[in-house]
Amino acid sequence: MKKITLKLFRYNPETDTKPHYDTFEMEAAPTDRVLDLLEKVKGYEDGTLSFRRSCAHGVCGSCAMRVNGENKLACKTLMQDLKGNKVVVEPILGLPVQKDLIVDMEPFFDNYKKVMPFFINDDPKPEKERIQSIEEQERFDDTAKCILCGACTTSCPSFWSNDEYVGPAAIVNAHRFIFDSRDQGASERLEILNDQFGVYRCRTIFNCTVACPREIEITKAIGEVKKVIATGNLE
Amino acid sequence: MAINRKVGFLKGLGYKGGGPMWAWILHRASGLAMVLFVGLHILAGFLTQQFGSEAGYAINAIYTNWIFQIVIFFLVIFHAVNGLRVVILDLIPALLQYQREMIWLQWLTIAPLYALVLFVIIKNLLGL
Repeated sequence: MKKITLKLFRYNPETDTKPHYDTFEMEAAPTDRVLDLLEKVKGYEDGTLSFRRSCAHGVCGSCAMRVNGENKLACKTLMQDLKGNKVVVEPILGLPVQKDLIVDMEPFFDNYKKVMPFFINDDPKPEKERIQSIEEQERFDDTAKCILCGACTTSCPSFWSNDEYVGPAAIVNAHRFIFDSRDQGASERLEILNDQFGVYRCRTIFNCTVACPREIEITKAIGEVKKVIATGNLE
Repeated sequence: MAINRKVGFLKGLGYKGGGPMWAWILHRASGLAMVLFVGLHILAGFLTQQFGSEAGYAINAIYTNWIFQIVIFFLVIFHAVNGLRVVILDLIPALLQYQREMIWLQWLTIAPLYALVLFVIIKNLLGL
């Protein structure tokens, strides 16, 4: 156990005109997660602290926040992986802050919906499942891991400057279907992403790849979509 | 009421994006510096040619200053090599998994080029 200082971004829309930071001193074990510290504050120090959490095991993607200046999932960030004794927790950037660490995710999901993130196939339904080879499945295996936490999109300077840019998460989810051999909606999705607010807003900055808690190679996925748009070749 | 989504320059700089993010920022800054450089160069030429203006000669004096040259050469070389790195990564997405190595390669390319520039500038400065 070591003594740490937890500095939290606070904003209550009913009482505050401006956000401020609250500081809490506490003991933390190396295996404590940032989410555990937030629960400790909410349970024992200040019940008004607001943040999203659900599964607490890195699957639901609810608890994306900025920890010491980097986007992370609070439930997957261990104290032993953070440098120093000070932990600063702030909401993710580029989305309106509703209260404390909670942001309005609607603009994020609006962008997600733009790329038609659902299976499109007008062929008659087969009797059993649609067969796919291991190689065909591996083509989009990486991007299928996305949990829509928003850590990538909200780490992207292009998205910060303009929320009409669909953002890395939407492109990752488009990639997941574009490269799926069973799907037939690739050309429509590529047309959407060929827009001025599509893939070419990506400046190859790599913040998204570093921020992804699922370790998806996001910049690579965006690069592959860019290449397909440029060459018209899905192979 | 929610706080608006605006991410200011300093707030954005505060995000710990690491090397590639700083390379992008420097790329943008060096691009702007070159626009200013070329713009002032044209202005200086126009002023001296048309009016024999003192202001034009003053701008040219800045250009020939060795400190200015050391800075502008770094910005031009960095902008060119970093731009090439991004173009290569965009054209060959398979290389994106080696992006860290590409950054090292970029600096390894910049170093000898810039060393040569420094050598020439210092040589001229010392009148050798």
